[in-house]
Amino acid sequence: MRFIVTSTALLKNLQQISGVISANTVLSVLEDFLFDLQGNTLTLTATDLETMMRVQMDVNEAQGDGRICIPSKILMDYLKNLPDQPITFTISEQDLSIEMSSEVGKYRIGGEKADDFPKEPAPVDTTSFTMPSIALIESINKSLFAVSTDTLRPAMTGVFFELAQDSITFVSTDAHRLVQFRRSDINCPVQEGFVVPKKPLQQLRATLPADDTQLQLSYNNSHLFVTSTRLSLSCRLIDARFPDYKAVIPTDNPYRLTVSRVDFLSALRRVNIFANKTTNQVVLDINGNTLQLSAQDIDFSYEGKETLSCQYSGEDMKIAFNARLMIELVNNIEGAEINVELSTPTRAGIFRPVETTENEDVLMLLMPLMVGV
Amino acid sequence: MPGHRKIIHIDMDAFYASVEQRDNPELVGKAIVVGGSPEGRGGVVATASYEARKYGVRSAMPSKTALRLCPHVIFIRPRFAAYKEVSTRIREIFGRYTDLIEPLSLDEAYLDVTEDKLQIGSAMEIAKQIRQAIRDELNLTASAGVSINKFVAKIASDMNKPDGLTFIGPSNIEHFMETLPVEKFHGVGKVTAEKMKAMGLHHGADLKKLTLEDMMDRFGKSGRFYYNIVRGIDDREVQPYRETKSLGAEDTFAEDLTTIDEMNVELDKIAKTVYDRLQRYQLKGRTITVKIKYHDFKIITRSQSFPYLVGDIETLSSTAKILLATSGIENVRIRLLGISLSNFDVAEPKGKRDRPGQLSLFEGL
Repeated sequence: MRFIVTSTALLKNLQQISGVISANTVLSVLEDFLFDLQGNTLTLTATDLETMMRVQMDVNEAQGDGRICIPSKILMDYLKNLPDQPITFTISEQDLSIEMSSEVGKYRIGGEKADDFPKEPAPVDTTSFTMPSIALIESINKSLFAVSTDTLRPAMTGVFFELAQDSITFVSTDAHRLVQFRRSDINCPVQEGFVVPKKPLQQLRATLPADDTQLQLSYNNSHLFVTSTRLSLSCRLIDARFPDYKAVIPTDNPYRLTVSRVDFLSALRRVNIFANKTTNQVVLDINGNTLQLSAQDIDFSYEGKETLSCQYSGEDMKIAFNARLMIELVNNIEGAEINVELSTPTRAGIFRPVETTENEDVLMLLMPLMVGV
Repeated sequence: MPGHRKIIHIDMDAFYASVEQRDNPELVGKAIVVGGSPEGRGGVVATASYEARKYGVRSAMPSKTALRLCPHVIFIRPRFAAYKEVSTRIREIFGRYTDLIEPLSLDEAYLDVTEDKLQIGSAMEIAKQIRQAIRDELNLTASAGVSINKFVAKIASDMNKPDGLTFIGPSNIEHFMETLPVEKFHGVGKVTAEKMKAMGLHHGADLKKLTLEDMMDRFGKSGRFYYNIVRGIDDREVQPYRETKSLGAEDTFAEDLTTIDEMNVELDKIAKTVYDRLQRYQLKGRTITVKIKYHDFKIITRSQSFPYLVGDIETLSSTAKILLATSGIENVRIRLLGISLSNFDVAEPKGKRDRPGQLSLFEGL
């Protein structure tokens, strides 16, 4: 098999899928890209056994269909060091040799048999729905940061996709905080849910086009398949039941604090510098229409205090949060102002944007710290 | 020293405290304690600087006592991540001189330099260079003891602390041991030392008069150790620490296996063995590997990795069966099968330990 391709175009396509390849793999074939040439279409595939990504590109002067595995690192290193120019690939499946010739040189590497490359899971018994690429990217952005890293609770190490006839809800939690992001502009055929691991979501976020391209999402009880025009991803789902998250979202937080998001965030960042590095404890002391943030680290005699004006309806209260978690959370809310709904110092605070976007509903929840209030 | 090993014991001087003084010049020359603060229920001293030791402050002493002995002492919260990083740099320095390193803790290690990787010529010179490298590159001091075995090297490193280097060679080792007070014998605690003294055994020389039977009568199993030690004999090797990277089991069959049913039965048995071993060490891992040896002694392995930790018998045996089945089992004769689990996650699970006081959702989960 033989084809000509420009070096930068090939590199760009390989970079879209190369993030899937694990740094340390057990099987050498997992360090490879699978090249599959059919007519003038070259399909490139990478996998770590859990996630498989493929991208299609057109090539010139293709001769002879065929498939071969090419080591990823040496190929990418070569392409990165090559100025933009056409490269001719001459591949022999028989002796697994790959020759790449450019205007200035000729390089040869050894490949592996295409049959050794893991097969893509068959999309059997799948259910499908569509959504715009940009909507999926935004949903991943909003939810992925709160995913747990605790492998003892596997269900929480991914984002829960909860489907309904008139919406899709993305839920993530690490047991200290929780994000629930609902889009009511997506229609799903069945009411059910699945948990998608972090890595494929990171890949999708990094590679999907940030526009209205329609994606097809198909799933069965073990895998998710995401397909756009040129790019597709399949991944194993997390085989564990997502916790009953609705039961932990308070429905009766009577007090409401409204504050400028940017002012709150920057005050929080400053005060946190003076907080204990283990707990990151920052106390919110709400008194009428003033909000005081304070932190201290007794071991180093550090202390910080800052006062903000706010709107508050409720009883005066003191509540402590981990500032690091709260900063991350508030950072992922949009708009000029945020509402914080509270009840008691030991129950969850609910954070929402004041301005709402059509067809979107975001709720973020953070559990307080119990010490020293 | 033909025939003798060359062992160096290196011990960092007041390690945690020295790192703190190095990183914060304001603490130099001051009495400091790295450890828990004396407030509230009070912590304990992890390390005291030499300035604090003058007042009698010692490791493992309650911080409250330290404050009483030395009212101007400064308490510093330990930064274990920083010490660990320095420790890694120290081990890197050791690694230039020998591959046989047995770390005892972050700040202490035995080195076997018999092989003399860099052809420096003498163990004393190696110890000198290591101490110099630690001083030049890390701005810290270490004490070293050089001898022909671990026991004497360790005692030697303690003799001229801080910043000392002590050599006890084969010709003076016997004399050295004879004059050594029994409480200095590593492994002899307060109780044993009292017991020895009650028997009129004050120095090495006193112990040396006893026969092996006498020693074993009086001190049980340790008797043999003392008997040898006092004669300068300690054959314990410097054992480089090896992390458990995988755990498995395998079985060679009297007759080659040819059918999938036979193979699956064996995989079930091996999975059970692996599972039992995992239980013993309380381990879970992410990667299951199957090893297959054919009748022609060709060996292949096939692995499957999971995004989460596994270690249950069901996953072990079912994954092993799938891996075996997909390796191509038509017309093969299999002599050996093995299953192993690797890719352990030894890190503490993130949770309450990390975040004191943080309330949690899903408490019942």
